[in-house]
Amino acid sequence: MSNITKSGGDDAEFAKPLYTPIKRRSFFMYAGATAGATALLLSGCDDDDDNNGTQPGAVSLGSGDVGVLNYAYALEQLEAAFYARVVASPFSGMTTDERTALTAIAQHEAIHRDFFKAAITAAAPTQIIGSLTPKFDNINFSDRTSVLSTARTFEDLGVSAYNGAGSLIQNSTYLLIAGKIVSVEARHAAYIRDLITPGSFSGSDVVDANGLDVRRSVSEVLTLAQPFITETINGDNVGK
Amino acid sequence: MNLFNIISELEKVDPEIMDRLTHRRSALTALGDMTKKMALAAAPIAIGSAFNKAMGQNNSNATVNDILNYALLLERLEYSFYNQALNAATLSTTLTGDARTAITTIRAHELAHVNLLTAALGSNVSPATAPTFDFGANAFTTYAGFLTLAQAFEDTGVRAYKGQATSIPRTLNPTVGGNQVNLLTVALQIHSVEARHAAHIRYMRRGATAGAQTSIMPWIVNKDANGVPDAVYGAGVPTTTFPAEDNVAQGGITALTTMLGATYSAADVSAAFDEGLDSTTVTNIARSVVKF
Repeated sequence: MSNITKSGGDDAEFAKPLYTPIKRRSFFMYAGATAGATALLLSGCDDDDDNNGTQPGAVSLGSGDVGVLNYAYALEQLEAAFYARVVASPFSGMTTDERTALTAIAQHEAIHRDFFKAAITAAAPTQIIGSLTPKFDNINFSDRTSVLSTARTFEDLGVSAYNGAGSLIQNSTYLLIAGKIVSVEARHAAYIRDLITPGSFSGSDVVDANGLDVRRSVSEVLTLAQPFITETINGDNVGK
Repeated sequence: MNLFNIISELEKVDPEIMDRLTHRRSALTALGDMTKKMALAAAPIAIGSAFNKAMGQNNSNATVNDILNYALLLERLEYSFYNQALNAATLSTTLTGDARTAITTIRAHELAHVNLLTAALGSNVSPATAPTFDFGANAFTTYAGFLTLAQAFEDTGVRAYKGQATSIPRTLNPTVGGNQVNLLTVALQIHSVEARHAAHIRYMRRGATAGAQTSIMPWIVNKDANGVPDAVYGAGVPTTTFPAEDNVAQGGITALTTMLGATYSAADVSAAFDEGLDSTTVTNIARSVVKF
């Protein structure tokens, strides 16, 4: 019971941006007042977002919007850790231009990571996931091909993750922020892809015949991300 | 004020108005409630918002159709721009090889977006056919100049889609081309493709034949315009929702440069977040460089 009370308090805090006049109007216009209130109540009813769960090494991302933010935070942690290694131990043959760009990308990802940490801490301090332990055993950081192909995987995965998660986000402030980040990830993806194969910035493996980028569900993304993370991530309730 | 005349006027503009309103009485009740609270001078605005409210509650497609037609306009503009470039005699010796391949790919994506939006809109496509876009006498004179305009359109396109994301109901799942799709997701999928285009165009500008502008990055640093009209990276309306691209505040954190437990440069913070833009500002930018 105390858990429910605490959880509800966090969500009330989390939902604050909704109570600006414009946000509230657009939210209620589409969701309807009753549906909106129900959604807020439901997002307070997380039953399994307890991150110090029974399984050692298991991390639940939680539910509702907090779950989506934790999901993004997890992916940004992964990317930030990867590029920090890339910058710290450059692959052989890295050009000055590449070093400049990869250093900038490393900063962008670190900023995304730290932003989500701060935002979730402010909104739902008891529900934020901890620091994940990256598992980069299969990446040869001294090898250009190994590093760039991993970078491409992470960037395209990030784009598909944000594209797939947008419709799960109830709070329009956070939806807009996700939009601000996903296009930067797409710019990264295009740059990395062009480094590997010039002109592959929007190749047919990522942009379909309708001109649409890849979108992936939470479970599809986590399946692809899990091999790079030591902890077992559970995203079953993200956005629910 | 005769409310029946107003409904009648609305019907002239939108023959399906009565279908959108559940029934006439609820529309009148809504309008009546509004007028009690408003001065007569403000009535046209009040009626407008009541009308939108009814649309939003009963059939959000009207509002969404406006967004889709706006997106269609931008995609038609982009397609026309690349199509004219690829057919321009003035670019035939400079827009070659990998560059021509890349622009051809981008043109194909813009056409695919046009077709997808057209299919999604069905009979609500407006205008029915694409307007003629006049990019001016100098748009395709030089390769460098063409790429500068391309950057302007792509970066503006990214901002435009982002600006509409929160206006698309996240539960709207229309059937397009026989498949049920989530409209917000589709918009996001177009949005990130435009960002890929933008990144590539920006990198093309670093090339020797494009003026060797090697300080241009695939992402937007501060609000550096790189020869593009400043408004492309400026603030929209309202500024709080759509700040300029050099914004370093996000989600209530006023300075990501110093408030994240580490110190980050304004250049990196601004580049880490692309900002959205409202449709009026986007349209004004477009009309500043294109006649249509």
